[in-house]
This record gives sequence, C-alpha cells and structure tokens, in this order.
Amino acid sequence: MSDTPLLRLDEVSRIYGEEVKVHALDGVSLDIEVGEFVSIVGPSGSGKSTMLGLLGLLDLPSLGTLSVDGTSVADLSDHDRSTLRGEVVGFIFQQFHLIPHLDARRNVETALLYRQMSPRERKHRAMGALEVVGLAPRHEHRPVQMSGGEQQRCAIARAIVTEPKLLLADEPTGALDSTNAANVMEIFRDLNDGSRAIAIVTHDPAVAASADRRISMKDGKIVADDQLSGGAAVSGFGGTLGDAS
Amino acid sequence: MRSVRDLVGVAVAGLTARWSRTLLIMLGPVIGVSAIVAAVGLTESAKGDLQETLAALGDNLIRGEAAASFGADAPTFTEDVVERVNRLATVEGSTATRSVSGIITTPYEAARSYYTAFPTPVLTADEHFLDVMQVELVSGRWLNSFDQDTAARTAVVGIGLADEFGFREGNRTIKLNDLDYGVVGVVERYPLDPVFDNAVIIPASTADADFDVGLEPDTVYVRSDQAFTLETEAALPVAINLGGDIETSTTVLSDALEAEAAADSTLQIIVAAMGLLALIVGGVGIANVMSISVIQRSAEIGIRRALGHGRSLIAWQFLIESVAVGLLGGLTGALVGMGIVVYASRIAGWVFVLSPELDLFGIQLPSHYVGVPTLYLIGVGAALLTSVFAGLYPSVKAAQLEPLETLRLG
Repeated sequence: MSDTPLLRLDEVSRIYGEEVKVHALDGVSLDIEVGEFVSIVGPSGSGKSTMLGLLGLLDLPSLGTLSVDGTSVADLSDHDRSTLRGEVVGFIFQQFHLIPHLDARRNVETALLYRQMSPRERKHRAMGALEVVGLAPRHEHRPVQMSGGEQQRCAIARAIVTEPKLLLADEPTGALDSTNAANVMEIFRDLNDGSRAIAIVTHDPAVAASADRRISMKDGKIVADDQLSGGAAVSGFGGTLGDAS
Repeated sequence: MRSVRDLVGVAVAGLTARWSRTLLIMLGPVIGVSAIVAAVGLTESAKGDLQETLAALGDNLIRGEAAASFGADAPTFTEDVVERVNRLATVEGSTATRSVSGIITTPYEAARSYYTAFPTPVLTADEHFLDVMQVELVSGRWLNSFDQDTAARTAVVGIGLADEFGFREGNRTIKLNDLDYGVVGVVERYPLDPVFDNAVIIPASTADADFDVGLEPDTVYVRSDQAFTLETEAALPVAINLGGDIETSTTVLSDALEAEAAADSTLQIIVAAMGLLALIVGGVGIANVMSISVIQRSAEIGIRRALGHGRSLIAWQFLIESVAVGLLGGLTGALVGMGIVVYASRIAGWVFVLSPELDLFGIQLPSHYVGVPTLYLIGVGAALLTSVFAGLYPSVKAAQLEPLETLRLG
C-alpha cells in the first residue's frame, strides 16, 4: 500500500439518529488504490449502502476521517466536495437513474456539464464513452426506448466519460436478466485496466467473484477482506492485481 | 459564462420535456400581463383622442373675460384690448370677441317661434380669430378686414349650427332680427371652448351698426409663449386694466380637458391592479407546479448531485426554469395585451396609444422613455419579478434534497 491511497477510511463511523444512535458504520478502516477491483458484500443492514455513500463522497463520516488522495473530505465546502465528486467518482446505480427526458448522448453529457467545455468537445467525449459500451448507434434513444441492459450500459458510459479514478457501482446487475448482467460484468472487467479503481456493492456472489478483492461486511464492520485469485479463473483480467503499486 | 449557458441548456431541456405543463403554468403570467397591458393600454387609448386634441390645440391659450364689478350689467373691455394685451412680451397673439344679446336668429321663416324661445348665441369676432385659436374652417372663409371696415352683413356659423341648419355647403342667408346676413363660412368644432360650435359670428363693426352695441369686446383670447403661460395669465388683468377699473377673470382653456383626461386614471389603476393580482396568482401557480416538479424529479436531482453538480447549480437550474416560464409568459402576455388594445382601438375608432406617459402606481416615467413601449416593459418586468419570487422556494427545496435519500442506494 502506498502512503496516499486513492481513498482512505480511517476509523470511520457513521451514526444516524439523535437519541437512539444507530451505528451504520462502526470504526471502519479501509484503503482503496487505483487499479483495484473491489466488491463489497454483506447482508442487508450490514452497512454496504452507508459505505457506498461515503466512498462516493455523497455523505460524510460522523467520526474518523475520509480522505481522497490524502486530503480529508470533511473540510471541503459543498461546492468543492461536489466538484471533487464529479472529478473522482463515477456512479452506476441498480435502477440506472438516467434522466428520462434526455436521449442517451445527452444523459452522458450531463456528467460533463459546468466544466467550461465546448458543446462540441462534450459531444465528442460522450460519443466516445458510448462507443466503449457499444451504444454509440443508439445515442439518440431515450431511456424508455432502451432495454434495461442498454440503459445500464448508457449509465456506465455516463460514469466513465469524466474519466474518474473510482468507478462506484451499486448492485449494477440487480435489475438485469442474466444475459445482460453478464454483458455488464464483461464491461466492468474490460474497464479494470489499471487506470482506475472499481468498487461494486452487491450481494450477488457471482458478481463479487468477478472482483480481485472482496470486502465482507456485517453490522457496520468489515469482517473479512480477501484477495481473490478466483477472478483470474473467470478471465485473464485478474492479473492486474499488482498494478496498483 | 459557459456554466450559464449549460444552466440555460439544462433548464430549457427540462421545460421542453414537459411542454403541456410548461404552457399551462405559463398561462398565469400570460393572463396577468395581458390584463395589465390591456387595461392600461385601453384606458389610455380611450382618451387618446382627448390627448391628441390637447396636443393639437396647445395648452397656452388663455381666455380673459371682462368681469362685472358688483351690479354692473354686461361688462366690457376697452376697444383697444387686443393692442393692450399684445404689449406683453410673452403674448404671441390675441383676438377679441363679444357676445351680442337679444338677437333672434332665424335660419328659415317656419322656425321663427322655436328660435325666439331658444335664441342662438350671436358673437362678434375680429380677423385674428383663426390664427390665435388655431382652428380650421370646414368650408368658406372667415370674416376679413373688408367685412370689418364696411360693416358688411356677413356671418360665419359654428359647425353645430351649420349641421342643424344644413348650412355646410353653399351660400345661405340667415336672419338676425329680420336683417339678412350672408353665411360665408363654417368653422370647425373647437373643443377648448364649445361656445363657438352653435354660434353665429359676425364682424364687430356690423354688430355695432345694426344693433348699436358698441365696439367694446367682452372676451379676449390670448395665445401665450408656451413656456410662460402661467406668467402671462397672471399679467393679463394688469395689462388690460392699465390703471383703470376693468376687472378681468382668466382661464387657461386646456385645464378643463386635462382634468377630464386624468379622470380615467382611477379605473385604470383598478383594472391594472386586478391584472397584477392575476399575475401574483400565476406566480403562486408557478411556485406550486415547480415544487411538485422538484419532488417528481428528485431522482434527477440526486443523479445530478452524484455527477458533481453542487447545491447552488441545482438551485439555479430550477430558478432559471421558473424565470424562463415567467419571461416567456410575460412576453406573450404583453403581446396579447397589445393585440387587444390595437384591435379594440380599431373597432372603437380610438387613437391607439402604445406607450402612454405612465403614472402607474406612482411610477412616473421620464418623458424620454415615451416612444419605447414602456407599458410592455413594465408588464414583462412584473412577470419576471413574480417568477423569480415563485422560483425561490422550489429552488431552495431542490438544493436541499439529499442525494443519498433520493437515489435509493443498496
């Protein structure tokens, strides 16, 4: 592990409620490096979603520190934290969360707004990202005109178009049939090329098995943190483990 | 700058995605602004005739009347009253008249008893009358110096009388106390002093010769330098009196018309206030729909926040959507209002007043704005202001949404 990992959680707790305090996350420490492909697993209520909110900079720790590239997030203003989130994190959701009134290209372009970028440049980049997920020919389609698998690929394009260092996915295959799910996981494995970290929150063992590292959670704590060699059995992509250093 | 363009793009996409709803909430500002514009425009146009008349006739004509010292009957000026008045440096011209009482005017024999019971006013006038009053003839000519010098039995009749007698065209005679006078002209309606509309006007010398009334006028009309009307009015009695005992009462003739033109403003303010009310209700409508829209689009807001758009950008997005609705509605409403005013003015034959010198709700516009559609700007401005206020609450609500709660993670 290097001294300044991409993301570092140091004794992080997230406590909800005023009188009855619920420790959704209870003193968790965790580093995630660029190049890692991590899955976060655990039963409902284990703190996965809380972890996701923190890793995605949508939430702040109640206790402990969360730092990105060595900088503590707690000290940032909403504007700076939002900008940092836009730069560092790309989100992929179970329900895709595409904006219904925009076509595929404009949905992808949404991630590039407010970045002093010319419309031409934005369009070019969006089309590039759609190319990566094989959706370029359907760039004029709106979410209702796309299948679930296509919508999720569009969402992935939106997540990677900003070239984030962390791709954060929340049950990305949860709303898909097995064929589309396999398709989406294939894209994730392709994206695991050492230039970014990928973190997938899931309770699907098959999805978790695709990753190189599995973090198991229970009752707000990390109960296991395993490096998997099994990922290599699925394809050759597991061999990128050492790229982080 | 690019962020602003991006914001406008996002807002436009949001609005165009829900066209019918956008149009519906636009109705509020459209109705409000069109009501304001139409109310003010219609009342202004309805009295546009009056104002046009005022502008044409000028507000610098003063009437001086010989006033009765107590008990005196039919007071008059001296014969040289016009000369006396013209000595004032601020006087551009003056003309004297006199009413001749006790004359039975008969246009034709059969009507003698009627016109005995209801005598037509007979006035004398000099040859400066048309110039000073700035009034036109409908037909014929005015009394000239030859008529005056020879005490000719010529007469000019007011247009009201001419219409009553059927005297508009052609040579006619009219009987004044059984003496035949030739009608040589018909004078146009004179709104500032309606006494001429139904009068028979004859040379002063003829009146003296035929009816022995003397040559002294009892009324003088004075055209003043535009800038010194009030000063001229004040100086008039002294100039006429010249140390004698002549009393003069003075009136600026346009004052009465101006009062009439101003009388409509109460109605105008009431109707415009109703329009403003409609606009405010429209604003509440915008606020309502935008608030619901924020709830409906909470997922969109969440995803935008996740994509790195800060709270302020979310707030701006919804504020701009609201303002766009208000602006577009206001512009449309102003156009509709203008259309109503133009159309109604055409039907009613009014003078269309596009940009009155407004004194609405105490906002007095400088005169150099006249000529630009001030009314239009006020209407659109009001809609804009309303929509800004309407958008504030939904925008703040949108900005306060927590993305974690709207995205349903895990």
